[in-house]
Amino acid sequence: MTDTARLQWAQAMVVTGIVLYVPANVLPVMTMSIVGTVEPLTVLGGVEELYDSGLWPMAAVVFLASIVVPFLKLVSLSWILFMHGKPVLQRQRSTLRRIVHSIGSWSMVDVFLLAILAAVGQLGALAGVKAEPGGFFFAAVLVCSLMAAEFYKPRMIWQTNSEQTP
Amino acid sequence: MTSRTDPSSLWLACPECEAPCRNRALPAGAELRCTRCGVRVKIASGRHSLQPAWAFATAGLFVAILANVEPIMTFEVAGDTQSNHIVSGVTELARQGYGPVAALVCFAGIIAPTLHLAAIWYIASACCLRRRWPAVHRVAVLIEMLEPWNLVPVYAIATVVAVVKLDMMGTVDWKAGALWILVLSLCSLSAAQAFDRELVEERLEALK
Repeated sequence: MTDTARLQWAQAMVVTGIVLYVPANVLPVMTMSIVGTVEPLTVLGGVEELYDSGLWPMAAVVFLASIVVPFLKLVSLSWILFMHGKPVLQRQRSTLRRIVHSIGSWSMVDVFLLAILAAVGQLGALAGVKAEPGGFFFAAVLVCSLMAAEFYKPRMIWQTNSEQTP
Repeated sequence: MTSRTDPSSLWLACPECEAPCRNRALPAGAELRCTRCGVRVKIASGRHSLQPAWAFATAGLFVAILANVEPIMTFEVAGDTQSNHIVSGVTELARQGYGPVAALVCFAGIIAPTLHLAAIWYIASACCLRRRWPAVHRVAVLIEMLEPWNLVPVYAIATVVAVVKLDMMGTVDWKAGALWILVLSLCSLSAAQAFDRELVEERLEALK
């Protein structure tokens, strides 16, 4: 794969990720029905619920991992891709890419949470957890940003427009 | 191109940005950083053995079996109970029609962590036993690829969050599986930490 193709793939993935970020956060990730009350939960709704019950450290972890991290990851990647070929701030871009790479996987918390809750919440009418389309979009955002980071190799940060290597 | 850590080579490629960096002998504890991006190119870690990595990987593989076989928690509402395993989340999501999400959970929660540990075990054994086992270099590449996908520690956190959430709605009880997941994440983190890439390349080079 040529570097130009890599760059284009990475850009496509980031744009897809940004588009999917909206339904991932607006649509409910799961519906919980506990003893008659049916409650659709978005990602943010789940955080709010944790916060309301006084567990703010837990709420902070989930908020950071599933809302802030994916957002920061997409923004940083867009900036890095936008700056491609410009001979400025390369070291900063390189550091940023490493940070994004190391915190990126934490957004999996929500996907795992969905899997665990879906598995235990199978008590018929008493307690049921159903996955909703939001979970699908959330997973898609995650995979898109991961693929984008995979396509855009760190060495490509150091290429400038005058000396593109094929 | 010569191997990245061939001690005799004059230039080393930076693992991050691939800039050539001039090689030199290092005193113990010192490190060589890339002049362009600042990433560590080489470190004289002072480690002489891969046996800790081997031990952690062996322990981890056994614990991985327990973590997947033992139930993680039980959830009770009005007399009805339900327990779960890592894999039951996967099958449940697949049953509800979320196949791709189920595949992601299966890969990041079961397949990648196990393969990652197995690959570390394979390379560490080859180095410790000084055996020329097949495909060691390909397995070494596999380790780097799988490392960001070993998400057992993240799964452990998700388990805690799930218990807290369920506690508001019914009675939740920890089961042995949760403890094994915690031990498994400690084992894989320690194995990855003790798995010194340079020492491995040096040992593999010596086996050729």
